[in-house]
Amino acid sequence: MSTAIELIGITKRFPGVIANDNINFSVEEGEIHAICGENGAGKSTLMKILYGMQPADEGVMKVNGVEVDFSSPTDAIAAGIGMVHQHFMLADQFSVIENVILGSEPTTVGGILDFDTAKTHLAEVGDAYGLTIDPDDFVSELEVGERQRVEIIKVLYRGANILILDEPTAVLVPQEVEALFDNLRELKAAGSTIIFIDHKLQEVLEISDRITIIRRGKSITTVNAADVTAGDLAELMVGEELPSPETTESTVTDVVALEVQNITVLDEYGRPVVHDVSFKIHQGEVLGIAGIEGNGQGELVDAIVGMERPLSGSVYLGGLDVSLKSVRQRRDEGFGYVPKDRHEAGLLLVAPLWENAALGHQTKPPFAKGWWIDRKGSHQRTDEIRERFDVRSPNADVAAHALSGGNQQKLIIGRELIGDPKVIILAHPTRGIDVGAQAAVWNEIRSARAAGQASLLISADLDELIGLSDRIVVMFHGKLVAELDPAEITPRLLGSYMTGAALQGGAQ
Amino acid sequence: MSFTQFQKLPAYYRWPILAFVGIVVLALVQELTGQGLLTSTTTIQTALKWAMPILIAGLGGLLSERCGVVNIGLEGMMILGTWFGAWGTLQFGSPWWGLFFGILGGAMGGLLHAIATVGFGVDHIVSGVAINILAPGTARYLSDRVFAQMDGGSISQSPRVESLGGFTWPVLAKGPDLFGRVERLDWFIVSDVFGVLRGLLFQMSYLTAIGLALVPISAFLLTKTRFGLRLRIAGENPLAGESLGINIYRQKFIGVIISGGLAGMAGSLIVLDLAQLYRQNQTTGRGFIALAALIFGNWKASGVLAGAVLFGYPFGLSLRDLEGTATRSLLLVIAIALVVVMVWAFTKQNIADGILAGTVAVGSLLFFLFTNTAPSWLPGTMPYVLVLLVLVFASQRLRMPAAVGLPYRKGGS
Repeated sequence: MSTAIELIGITKRFPGVIANDNINFSVEEGEIHAICGENGAGKSTLMKILYGMQPADEGVMKVNGVEVDFSSPTDAIAAGIGMVHQHFMLADQFSVIENVILGSEPTTVGGILDFDTAKTHLAEVGDAYGLTIDPDDFVSELEVGERQRVEIIKVLYRGANILILDEPTAVLVPQEVEALFDNLRELKAAGSTIIFIDHKLQEVLEISDRITIIRRGKSITTVNAADVTAGDLAELMVGEELPSPETTESTVTDVVALEVQNITVLDEYGRPVVHDVSFKIHQGEVLGIAGIEGNGQGELVDAIVGMERPLSGSVYLGGLDVSLKSVRQRRDEGFGYVPKDRHEAGLLLVAPLWENAALGHQTKPPFAKGWWIDRKGSHQRTDEIRERFDVRSPNADVAAHALSGGNQQKLIIGRELIGDPKVIILAHPTRGIDVGAQAAVWNEIRSARAAGQASLLISADLDELIGLSDRIVVMFHGKLVAELDPAEITPRLLGSYMTGAALQGGAQ
Repeated sequence: MSFTQFQKLPAYYRWPILAFVGIVVLALVQELTGQGLLTSTTTIQTALKWAMPILIAGLGGLLSERCGVVNIGLEGMMILGTWFGAWGTLQFGSPWWGLFFGILGGAMGGLLHAIATVGFGVDHIVSGVAINILAPGTARYLSDRVFAQMDGGSISQSPRVESLGGFTWPVLAKGPDLFGRVERLDWFIVSDVFGVLRGLLFQMSYLTAIGLALVPISAFLLTKTRFGLRLRIAGENPLAGESLGINIYRQKFIGVIISGGLAGMAGSLIVLDLAQLYRQNQTTGRGFIALAALIFGNWKASGVLAGAVLFGYPFGLSLRDLEGTATRSLLLVIAIALVVVMVWAFTKQNIADGILAGTVAVGSLLFFLFTNTAPSWLPGTMPYVLVLLVLVFASQRLRMPAAVGLPYRKGGS
């Protein structure tokens, strides 16, 4: 067996981050090789480099022993590499055959498409690998699993013998996953090499021959799937981290501040992304939600703050049913919300700080007087936030994009906390900010808790989650699958719950 | 045949059937009102001449929007077409040179739009509006420098230019004149249909012939060729195209430049076929009506033709109809069409649409019954009213290219 792909010292930097830091591994011909790592570990960047969509800053890439330098996917395709993207690269209003031939169309004279040849070739590919699909169907009419099949056929049609699949199971239901795995085994039997990116450990163990773990942009190790358990993988993925510094005495009371009952939210394909979720948060309590991103946390939060209407379920704020109220009304009843992406949902980057501070409070004093914006009152309140939350900025009139990420985040937290909400929802409150600002945000969360506010904390930083929460629930595939005591849990164990490994009895 | 079966037919069956139904309705109304102009050869000819610039510019809009770029600058590119069409004719002594330079002038506008929107990521509407402001200014400046120096020209007008001319189809419309004979037999409906057909073929201008030929050519280009497939992916899902190694920028540039060229051709047609001179503000917003025809036509070539005919017809009719009686009877046609829409909406359980259509139908009918001649503003307003009605009732069924108007950057995935 020879080496299909070899990566030596691949490094890729983006402004302020190193996405890939000296990555080394090799893939043998005819194997299914999984790349495992948490979200943000750098898997997708690595695959984009391998597929020619982004150039690497450093390092050497060899395909079948020959050093290559891809400047576009065309080069990668020519080298026999094909990629099935996590988000399908299909045009809904094109037929299957149009999607498949795009970019390598058979034509007769004058560039006229030769659909007959294309369909014959498609049928050959389909027969060879056991993949069938009607070439004249429109993609918009296909099920998710079928769309993925189109993506795979698209790659095979081009004669690729090295397939990269980026989180192929993320959008599939279990039966579809089984069908996909059957297809992959047939591909392997036919001699294809498959690189399979995933973080669902059971699936990875089931399908792959070898597994390379990537953590924080570095390739940690490559192991044989037969030699490891899901627990081992979880430990390798999450890493042994420093124990969390924060635990203070409980301030939890008996008064329920937020109660969520049986919330179910459907995704665009009509499948439940949040499935019958219920929980209570008391005054003075921080409830942490642990889970790999994409397991329904975002949709759950949207449903609680009123940005998305759930299929069913109710939300009670301090005993009041707010299920049918708008976002505005819910905020007025006492919701604070720190969104996960401060640039997308938290701030108007080109607007001055005082306007940003007024967001969500713009109808109430001191930001407004009747119909009119109260500029003076707004400035005073903004200065108050800047001082109390240590938002380092020259004045309230600078644009928000002039601030560092940490100061932007402190401004948002200040804006949400200064109205003394009953419940504050914190989605990744310290993501992408420096250590000093992180400590400041943690302090604010702790003092809000001491003041009797209830907090819902979502974070990918397990230390943060364990350190700040009074209780932790684990969300997996849209369901709350476990409730844990942060005093008794390690990041490693929590990580195995998040990946579903512990649930299947393989963690300890 | 049920309605859904009808919808599944290919466009080149559906539109002729609809056109036939339209002619039947016109003929019916003609009988009811004793109004002879609605389907006469001369009316159809004029209507067709008015429809042509809308059609060709609409096809321009089609190519641009199918590759993902909104082209609200069609109007400005048409203006460039009018000026360069007149200039080319005067400079080189042949209207065919005028046509060539008209197309080139429009294509320059398209190139500008492509550089702004595709190259620099400027908002498509902003760039289009800028071109619509820039083009008349450029034309006026150039007129001052060129046409004002010529005999019979001024800053706002060129000397007269030669027409491109046309031809009458032999056998069918002259000589034996088969269609004309049937028309003169005055058989109900049959004569009307042949009147319309003869109107198409009698003294058809070369540009009209080219314009009509462009409809199947565009449709073929978009759906059956490699070029068209790659153009369309740029408007549907550019990242998917990019991931398969297609140069999206190139597709967009080509699409928008062709779009400008077609708009320029539409402008030259106004000069060479309709007015036989360049005049300021000659396009009178037909670039915008072309966009409306594009939307009406659901981003399909055959649909653009239907939209262009629909919007050109009231203009053509009003020019032939000096008393305004024929335009008045169009109100009855609209009322009938809306009743059809109402029935259709009710069968689809779409109560709100049905009530709205019914109300407007009644209003249209009352307008018809209580007037003797159409007010002079009616023919000019009718295309806009029509497009509004179409948007109200058909908006759920219309489907624009999925990525039209969205910024695209390479490597943005």
